[in-house]
Amino acid sequence: MHKFTVLIVEDEKHINEFITKTLSANGYRTNWAASGKEGISLATSLCPDVILLDLGLPDIDGMEVIGQVRKWSRCPIIVISARIQEEDKVLALDAGADDYLTKPFGILELLARIRTSLRHSTQNSSGSLSQQLYHAKGLEIDFFRRTVSLDGGLIHLTPIEYKIVAYLAQNSGKVMTYTDVLNNVWGPYAENDNKILRVNMANIRRKLEKNPAQPAYIFTEVGVGYRMVDGGDA
Amino acid sequence: MMREKIKKARLQNIKQPYRDVMTTAGLLLATVALACFLFFFVSRSPINIALFFMVGAIMVARHTNGYIYGIFSSVFGVIFINCFFTYPYSHIDFTRPDYPFTFVCILALSLVTSTVTTNLKRQAEVLRFHEKQLAEAEKEKMRANLLRAVSHDLRTPLTGIIGSISAIKESGDGYSKEEFQELISNVYDDASWMLNMVENLLSVTKIHTGGSQFATTPEIVEEVVEEAVTRLKKRLPKAEILVQIPAEILMVPMDAMMVEQVLINLLENAVVHSKSQHPVQLFVQNQEHDVAFHVIDFGNGLNKEQLKHIFDGTYSKGPSADGQKGMGIGLSICHTIITAHGGTISAKNNERGAEFLFTLPKEEAHA
Repeated sequence: MHKFTVLIVEDEKHINEFITKTLSANGYRTNWAASGKEGISLATSLCPDVILLDLGLPDIDGMEVIGQVRKWSRCPIIVISARIQEEDKVLALDAGADDYLTKPFGILELLARIRTSLRHSTQNSSGSLSQQLYHAKGLEIDFFRRTVSLDGGLIHLTPIEYKIVAYLAQNSGKVMTYTDVLNNVWGPYAENDNKILRVNMANIRRKLEKNPAQPAYIFTEVGVGYRMVDGGDA
Repeated sequence: MMREKIKKARLQNIKQPYRDVMTTAGLLLATVALACFLFFFVSRSPINIALFFMVGAIMVARHTNGYIYGIFSSVFGVIFINCFFTYPYSHIDFTRPDYPFTFVCILALSLVTSTVTTNLKRQAEVLRFHEKQLAEAEKEKMRANLLRAVSHDLRTPLTGIIGSISAIKESGDGYSKEEFQELISNVYDDASWMLNMVENLLSVTKIHTGGSQFATTPEIVEEVVEEAVTRLKKRLPKAEILVQIPAEILMVPMDAMMVEQVLINLLENAVVHSKSQHPVQLFVQNQEHDVAFHVIDFGNGLNKEQLKHIFDGTYSKGPSADGQKGMGIGLSICHTIITAHGGTISAKNNERGAEFLFTLPKEEAHA
């Protein structure tokens, strides 16, 4: 069976150790780079399936690593960082990172994020149009017929609302930043004002969620964006 | 900063005599004008005129720095009266027998007032300085208190973590699987709790470094509530929280991270300290000028002593201080955050359990 390769770019030995142990136990092959430059060169030579990247590296900033790797590779990058400011997350995601985990994090969460990233990257590379159906708990989205149904009953969404939900569902499990969604739904010349998106989102929530404050499908990362519950396992 | 201060002080030093001269000239001119008016239109009594000049000299002494201007004004007054308002008019004549007496009297009077007012001014300055020092000391004391409380609060879970880990390290094989699991989950709980504490402290430094003007952006209330509940659930998976939010979309200017921190602190207190099986209620209310957040539990409630000092972070010094970790700091941090947002926070006992209430104004409070 083919083992996925994970490159860990992290200068803290202890953190690297616990990630390596967990990943090996779960069937991944791991490599460790303790600095940004080493990380870039290993990424080039190994072509890993996923890169876990710490932003605070001793030699160069993790943001630069993202930029360098993105020049030639679409390999998923999951940022692991102690920077908890929303701006830092948005910067990293908009620079090309696929996902963001704030330190400290649990291993279950880490494994889930890696699985999500791998699934999206294999889907993209196989060239097939992403799934025809999105399915999670009681929610079902049919991308061909452009319908959304909840527990079997059709839900009426406006065209904009459908576009938002569909975009989030196609990237389910990943945080999509406000800019991401705005560009994909309203087009690249959309005003850089996320208010319209957030109001639309509030309306969607009222249609999809039984309790808007404890959602089951679409989660908010305030100041960053939205994450739709992973539909891949269904 | 420092250089600017020195520059400012120097500028004031140059400006001060200039201002004093202008004040003296202005006041004397006004006195002369009034005296003339009195002399030519009302009565020619030199006594009234002299009184006028005395008042003028006192005013000058009051509004200028140092003695010179006061003395100058009184000498000016004496000569002026002698010259223009006493017989023979338009001539200086000090040969009249009572003149030295008048002269000395007015001079003495203005000297005394100058001294008294200068002294008063100096005392006021000293007082202001002391007050400033006191305020600084108070701030310093608060900071020291917070640090002490924090180190106490961090030490408690650390003791648990180090204790459990060293127990495992020393005699890991001696424990049954259940015991081992229990030790590990204790470590996990303590560490998670510490993480929350660190996030609390981060919010506070954000307020203190940015002054009272930290950045707020309009946020949708339900999103903030959602994220807070999700984050708390991640840490306390067994916590049951009932959330009620108005149907309309509420936008409130805030720092979302900080308000989430407040919600998490209050909800965690309600879940952990109420010792009740009944789920905690979070109830959001749209009011005219603000949005109110109620956190209601159905546990033991708070005792009177707790209620009195609940938000100043001091009450946990009581006899049971070591029993409950960090409820005090968490709440005092809530208070700091909500106050910085221009809102209010309060606590009370209901028939069953306790209720915490905070409000956030809908409009920018510190525009």
